[in-house]
Amino acid sequence: MKAREYEITIGPTGEVEIHVEGFQGKGCVEVLRFFEQMIGKTQELRHTSGYYEPDEDVTLHNKQQH
Amino acid sequence: MSAVAIIAPIVVSSWPAISAAVASAAVSMGFSVAREVANQGLNQDLRAGSNTVTLDVPNCSAVTGTLGRDQRIQMARDAVTVEFSRDARGRDSVCVTGEGFTDVQLRAIGDEIAGRTVQHYVLAKLKSEMAGKGMDLVEETVEQNQSIRLRVRHWQN
Repeated sequence: MKAREYEITIGPTGEVEIHVEGFQGKGCVEVLRFFEQMIGKTQELRHTSGYYEPDEDVTLHNKQQH
Repeated sequence: MSAVAIIAPIVVSSWPAISAAVASAAVSMGFSVAREVANQGLNQDLRAGSNTVTLDVPNCSAVTGTLGRDQRIQMARDAVTVEFSRDARGRDSVCVTGEGFTDVQLRAIGDEIAGRTVQHYVLAKLKSEMAGKGMDLVEETVEQNQSIRLRVRHWQN
């Protein structure tokens, strides 16, 4: 199990800034797509150095509700 | 850290979801929610002798299939009364009334209410959707500029 850390700031007008951490390569893209589909439209995207490392498989699963 | 994204919100919601966000935003700004009313105009007594401005709420619309009747929620703080409404076409607007306030001051209050409503709508939606994906909210703080900061932990195989 790997722990990912996301820091989300919702501004007073609703604009959202998301920092996605803990990924190697482009695995963060799927997570950011999840947030974009939920919230609205991406206005700006910046990659940090980890983005250019080798890719890892990332899949978002729905949580089982009991 | 791998990436930073800035996302502009688009609110497409049913009335119960947006009115809950309005109430939450209002309370965070020190307003008390007076009442929720349907198919009625703003109480005319509140407007007597007062200035009024009406603003559209940008990037906000109703879920298709939930239209057809006016919905309104009213809130008050000191000498200011705010009515957030959705008309039969699904257009959201904010009407701000206050005695002794200029149009500019009332417009600023309306803009703040509209923005904070979107903020609280996004917050509620994030919490709900993240829980369904197994993401744990480990910290929630309100910054001095009224931004809401969330720290989320997500365990994955």
